[in-house]
Amino acid sequence: MTKWGMVIDLEKCTGCQACTAACQMENTRMPGEVWQDVIFYTEGTYPSATLSWLPRPCMHCEEPSCMHVCPTKATYKTGDGLVLVDWNRCIGCKYCMIACPYGVRFYSGERAEIQPDVRTVYPGEGDKVWSPPFQMPADKQDRSRGVGVAPANVVTKCTFCSHRISKAPKDASDLSGDNPATRESTPACVLTCPPTARYFGNLDDPNSEVSRLIAQKKGSRLLDHLGNRPQVYYVTGEGGSVPNVGSSRKA
Amino acid sequence: MTLEFKTSRRRFLQATGATGAVAATGIGLSGGTLAPASAQQAASAAGTATVVNKNICHQCPARCGIDVYTTGGKVHAIYGNPDHPIANGKLCPKGHLGTYILYDPDRFKGPMKRTNPNKGRDQDPKFVPISWDEALNTVAARLQALRDKGESHRFTLAFGRGWGASCAGLLGTFGKLYGSPNIGLGHSSMCSDGSKKAKHATDGNKDYNSYDYLNTNYILNFGAGFLEAFRPYNNNLQVWGHLRTKSPRARVTVVDVRLTTTGAAADRLVMIKPATDGAFALAIAHVILTEGLWERDFVGDFADPAMKFEAGKTLAADSFKEKWVSGLIEWWNAVVKDATPEWASKITTLTVKEIVTVAREFGSTRPAMALFERGPTAHTNGVHTGMAIHALNALVGSLFAKGGLAYQMGPAYGSLDVKSDDFLDDYAKAPERKKPRMDLVGSAEWPMADNQLQGVAKHHLAGNPYKIDTMMFYLTSPIFSAPGCKDWETALKDIFVIDTSPFPGETSVFADLVLPDHTYLERLQDAPTYPFQGYPLAQLRTPAVKPVHDTKVFGDILIEIGKRMKGPMGDYYKAVGNTENVVKALAKGFEKSPGDNGVNSFETWVQKGVWYKKPYHWRQVRGEFYEWDGTAYAKKMDAEEVKKKLLKTPSGKFEFKSGLMEAKADFVTAKVGIPAERVGFPQWFEAKHTGGGDLHVVTPKSSAHAEGRSANTPWAINIYQPTSGGRTQNLMEIHPEAAKKRNIADGDKVRVKSSIGTISATARYYAGLRPDTIVLPFGFGHWAYGRWAKGRGSGNVSEVTENVSDPISGLACYYTGKVTVEKA
Repeated sequence: MTKWGMVIDLEKCTGCQACTAACQMENTRMPGEVWQDVIFYTEGTYPSATLSWLPRPCMHCEEPSCMHVCPTKATYKTGDGLVLVDWNRCIGCKYCMIACPYGVRFYSGERAEIQPDVRTVYPGEGDKVWSPPFQMPADKQDRSRGVGVAPANVVTKCTFCSHRISKAPKDASDLSGDNPATRESTPACVLTCPPTARYFGNLDDPNSEVSRLIAQKKGSRLLDHLGNRPQVYYVTGEGGSVPNVGSSRKA
Repeated sequence: MTLEFKTSRRRFLQATGATGAVAATGIGLSGGTLAPASAQQAASAAGTATVVNKNICHQCPARCGIDVYTTGGKVHAIYGNPDHPIANGKLCPKGHLGTYILYDPDRFKGPMKRTNPNKGRDQDPKFVPISWDEALNTVAARLQALRDKGESHRFTLAFGRGWGASCAGLLGTFGKLYGSPNIGLGHSSMCSDGSKKAKHATDGNKDYNSYDYLNTNYILNFGAGFLEAFRPYNNNLQVWGHLRTKSPRARVTVVDVRLTTTGAAADRLVMIKPATDGAFALAIAHVILTEGLWERDFVGDFADPAMKFEAGKTLAADSFKEKWVSGLIEWWNAVVKDATPEWASKITTLTVKEIVTVAREFGSTRPAMALFERGPTAHTNGVHTGMAIHALNALVGSLFAKGGLAYQMGPAYGSLDVKSDDFLDDYAKAPERKKPRMDLVGSAEWPMADNQLQGVAKHHLAGNPYKIDTMMFYLTSPIFSAPGCKDWETALKDIFVIDTSPFPGETSVFADLVLPDHTYLERLQDAPTYPFQGYPLAQLRTPAVKPVHDTKVFGDILIEIGKRMKGPMGDYYKAVGNTENVVKALAKGFEKSPGDNGVNSFETWVQKGVWYKKPYHWRQVRGEFYEWDGTAYAKKMDAEEVKKKLLKTPSGKFEFKSGLMEAKADFVTAKVGIPAERVGFPQWFEAKHTGGGDLHVVTPKSSAHAEGRSANTPWAINIYQPTSGGRTQNLMEIHPEAAKKRNIADGDKVRVKSSIGTISATARYYAGLRPDTIVLPFGFGHWAYGRWAKGRGSGNVSEVTENVSDPISGLACYYTGKVTVEKA
């Protein structure tokens, strides 16, 4: 079985937001619709202030609260472990946005953070929320999986680049841009991450890179006590500028 | 790890089982695997197949190779080129913004002329579209008329981010044939000429360094935004992941005025008082010498091993046997013996413990490197500060060493068969053409600077050395970005202005003609690498789509103007033809010198997007210099060869007593006030702070913005972070203590005042900043440039930055200003 998951190594993460930019480009997201955000924290004061950051995609939980609260079963879990939204069923009620403990869901009808609104600059064709010239090719867009340009008034979220990973070679357990055979099926954020702080692969395969990293670098999951069982793990080492998210981090 | 390029083309094709995939226009992609591009071409028109074209990112100087994904004639994705040694298949956040820039709705749609004779910030130019023929004929007629009057020197062309032979490389020839010393006035004096001058003065190379980060164990970083903007940014980020997880883990100390991501991710951040980095560097040198930590194989040693460097005590010059350095004892006696950590502590505000700890770490870790660029050198004491920092590299023997610093080799380019010297007419050759440059470089005012673009508006207004008639701009906009930029608003009123930007920037508001360039995804354009890892590397832009609008690549604009000139000059440009011929001529050189990736022709260069040939040819190992003999660093070099190829100073050694400075001692003494006998030494003296305020202002670049090309990109605006970025605008960082003293609350609108102007800003409390300093990023505060850029957020820092430059290097003192801040 395949259960896709991600490992983010905070010892290597530089907070550059290449993941954020690549995700928005690959998935044709609007400004503010940051499926892959990086959250910055500051504490203390000069000369001993600290600045730390946390890259935050959808956790693709094994027990997704968002799915359980969805009144129309628009949010669902796939056989290979993804949490997706079927835009044909979504009624935009936003229950899932409230239920999600990680704040990684977005509403396509949200007021634009940056004015002028790109939806007025690139008006949507048909019921699309917008139609920019640089949008994802039509044959890759899939409303039933929440991939591509959304209709107005639905909830959108990270799909682990479902349109890319679904093209992975059969039995591939590690998806990496460094391997030509898997480059085109690697999620955008993982593919571009310059310091190689992101790893993507099959959590069900004990030999996969993600499984090994979780074991070796003591992977931890955000808000694990809530029982959502995220499929995104964070690891870190000594030092670096990382928030205190796991047991391997010294207080 | 992808830092060392490890996937050969062969392996790439084997892995995907598609050896027939390569086509001149790119590689076809369908689903996850490659398919023959010929078949994909047809499908592409139908909107189903994806074609990948090679290009070079345009968002910063790093020149990362990019793969541009186009489906149905529309670009929808950009990723790093896996075959490109800088990109390695990765990108920084800016790299992904190119699609938005290509389709920026505010781009100029074609050539235009002004119809409103009145010029001003608030004047609508009332542009009307014209044909390219009319546009080019207008320029040519104007230039011809100047030439006919013997006033060709009054045509000036300023450029900023030049790329290669097919754009900036054309300018020198144009100036020579036309007869103007002002064709190609460069912007390096608004970039980082201070570091180049510091290196020129000490090791003889007027250039930026290449860095062997992959093998280093210690980085002492003076003010470089390594994880924010420092070139090559994308590769720095890649290197970071490696440095922090390799064995042994490299240690990093960052010297800056504020807590940045670079400083936060490092092992140690020391927050230094602006313009005092030189004092810190000297104290580090002091500790290295007094504690015996210097690299004896490179520096040399005392004749009597019992001798020591002792604080405050002079030494006899002949007591030390120097190896690859010169002037060490004189420098010690004149400067370093008194540069104790206690002395530096008072100047820098760092603690003695911090200074000593950093010095010991740096001095006892090998290989180690001290790096810097514009930050510490953008002050009136910049060159000597840079010399002091670079001296540390000599003391620990990192010059040309594994894990240290070196310089950059150029690519094996071919050249055009057409020789420009055969097309010089009597006018061009006449002695009257030897006119002073409009930027006064080479005059008694600027004998040591390379450029002085920031002075041109002032010079024009003063008629010194004369008045400009016509000025053309290529990838630079000093009316927005130069210190004291408002001078340009006056100057450009009575100059005929030709803008070539694809975007409606501030220059275009004053333009008489707009001749819009392609954006980079539409161009065929070459670019050799900026200093990277030393070995030669050259990359190529190939068009991903037909031009979206009626634009023309800058090089062809220039060639077309040239063709319209009378006499041999016109004949020359007719013989050159177009930029494609220029690029093809470069690629001729690869036939004799194929790249490591098999690139040996124009066609293969187009396919791969990059030519490179490893390794760098020289290495210093334990105090001996070796040249690459084809298989190893085995050819030992004698002192003469080292002087000719590597340490190009008068002495052929690293000079702690600079021959270059001493040759201009009178000038340096007159300008910076240090005695003639001391001008050659790396040293610290107080900078002259401009602006007249009580808070230092530092204007860094941010990771999603850098050179400012994302100004009209809402996706970028939305992710400007972490501290001065506010999701919808840029903010002014101020320490809460400093703010409260001024009755300023977090989020308040404030006025930032200097002696030359006032701008508005929004205050952001940030305790990770020195209380005597505010931070307001550079490149914001547009009053043009498009619907998202214009009028957004805080004002333009160039309007409060006095136009004062380091007299030696000519570098604009961007970080030396002081301002007052008050609640608006």
